[in-house]
Amino acid sequence: MVSRTTAQARTEPKPAPREWRRFKFPESLYKWAGLMAALLFLSYSIVYLNIPLERFFNMFGRVGTLITDRYYPPEMEYVTEPDYLSSVFDTIQMAYLGALFGMAAAIPLGWFGSYNMTPSRRFVYPFARFVAMCTRAVHETIWAILFVTILGFGMMAGVLALTMFCIGFAGKLFAEEIEAIDMGPVEAIRSTGASELAVMVYGVFPQVRVAFTGIGIYTWDVAFRAATVVGFFGAGGMGWYLKRNVLQIETTRVSAILVSIILLVLVSEAVSAWARARVAKAK
Amino acid sequence: MASASTTARNVDRILAARTKAKFGRSIIYAAVIAMAVFSIKTTIIDDTDWARLGSVANVLASAAEFLGVDWGLLPNLLEPAIETIMVATLGTLLGVVVCVPAIWFGALNITPFTPVTYPLARLMMTLSRSIHEIVWGLFFVAAVGLGALAGVLALAIRSVGFIAKMSAEAIEDLDPNPVEAIRAVGGSDFQVFIYAILPQVLPVIVGVVIFEWEINIRRSSILGLVGAGGLGLVFFRQLNTFNFPGVTTVILAILALILFGEIVSYYVRKAII
Repeated sequence: MVSRTTAQARTEPKPAPREWRRFKFPESLYKWAGLMAALLFLSYSIVYLNIPLERFFNMFGRVGTLITDRYYPPEMEYVTEPDYLSSVFDTIQMAYLGALFGMAAAIPLGWFGSYNMTPSRRFVYPFARFVAMCTRAVHETIWAILFVTILGFGMMAGVLALTMFCIGFAGKLFAEEIEAIDMGPVEAIRSTGASELAVMVYGVFPQVRVAFTGIGIYTWDVAFRAATVVGFFGAGGMGWYLKRNVLQIETTRVSAILVSIILLVLVSEAVSAWARARVAKAK
Repeated sequence: MASASTTARNVDRILAARTKAKFGRSIIYAAVIAMAVFSIKTTIIDDTDWARLGSVANVLASAAEFLGVDWGLLPNLLEPAIETIMVATLGTLLGVVVCVPAIWFGALNITPFTPVTYPLARLMMTLSRSIHEIVWGLFFVAAVGLGALAGVLALAIRSVGFIAKMSAEAIEDLDPNPVEAIRAVGGSDFQVFIYAILPQVLPVIVGVVIFEWEINIRRSSILGLVGAGGLGLVFFRQLNTFNFPGVTTVILAILALILFGEIVSYYVRKAII
């Protein structure tokens, strides 16, 4: 064995020093082919969408002048008017209710949609997953438009749109959280002959309570961001003021509203981060 | 005897702490319920025009108009659907390009000058995340005119926040050992970047970008509402002509598109990571 390899080494010429590569032959080919296909798709889509590239490259100066000439300075008096402030308050309430209703519906959905705890893997599980996907896939503005068409203008349409949005959002996170639990307590409670609901209440819920609270606060935060625009389509809140000023080309007021939205989102983010840290610590 | 009394005292303390925690929790529950009741009163009961809404039968009747599918619309949906996917893809990729400085400035261990660049990057991320895509769409329609370009730009800016935040966190969690190793065998800065940093963060970044692409399909499907083309425009037209089965058709098409995006992202994720 040893003598043969030495003999081979003696007879064969020394191979040329090879360059080290991370990807060997077939993978490198797939990689290049994939990259080329992606580039081809990109260039084709630029052509297909008729994107005027020269306008894209000229854009930067125009955006600068657009901001300095028209959107600056923001008319901050407008956003401190009582009308606007009350609409901000409405928006917060809408987001709160939407997140609350959404979560109330998402808890059973999370239960049915978690693979380890679902009552029936063949029927209920795919159905719950499908409902969660549908409510999440349809954008919140589309929900807002649909509910405004059915129920008329007003905050009820906004609350329902946010509810639909939160059902999908929280339902998916809840299901993932339930799938990650320790099955020991579940087995223990099941072995006492408890019903599925009792298993849920005493075996699963104590394990996920903290995580659910955190997800709930996060859902409210996301719902608030969505709530700032559902009013754009007539579903109440500050979005209506945004739409009105956009249509009237009151650009300095629009920028003031945007500034107020950014500030409110910052505040809501800080509050939600604080509350989530607090909940995690209370564990 | 002494130990028994300490145990008793400990038990008392734990019980007292539990009562206190229970009390605090019930106050929180009461506040949550009180605020919910107040909000229901102001937003739903007071703000709704109940007389105009009519009875439950009326509402159900107007909801029932959406039942049914307008099959005749289907051939007209193919082109907007392709447009929607393309806008989402281009927007995500442009977002990745715009992201690079935000990631560079926003990761604490590589940011060039922490007191200035780090807050700057954070500001970029917050701006991008806190303004809704509809508003970005309006802004870019004003800047570059109607058409897909405005949608691409809006999605690009809107994607920056999420991609940059996750990627900057991935870079902050970098394992320094491979960097040392490549340096020790005489690698240049560029080689350190290619062989030590990129392999560590690339799976995370690619995963985040694919996830963002999925979200962007959802977003680009509504950008037509503010004049950026795609399925949103068809949706808007169907609604304004009161063709409610057509509206349902468009929503089903959006669902199909999102399902397609989820399937593609599943396979791409499996192939790359």
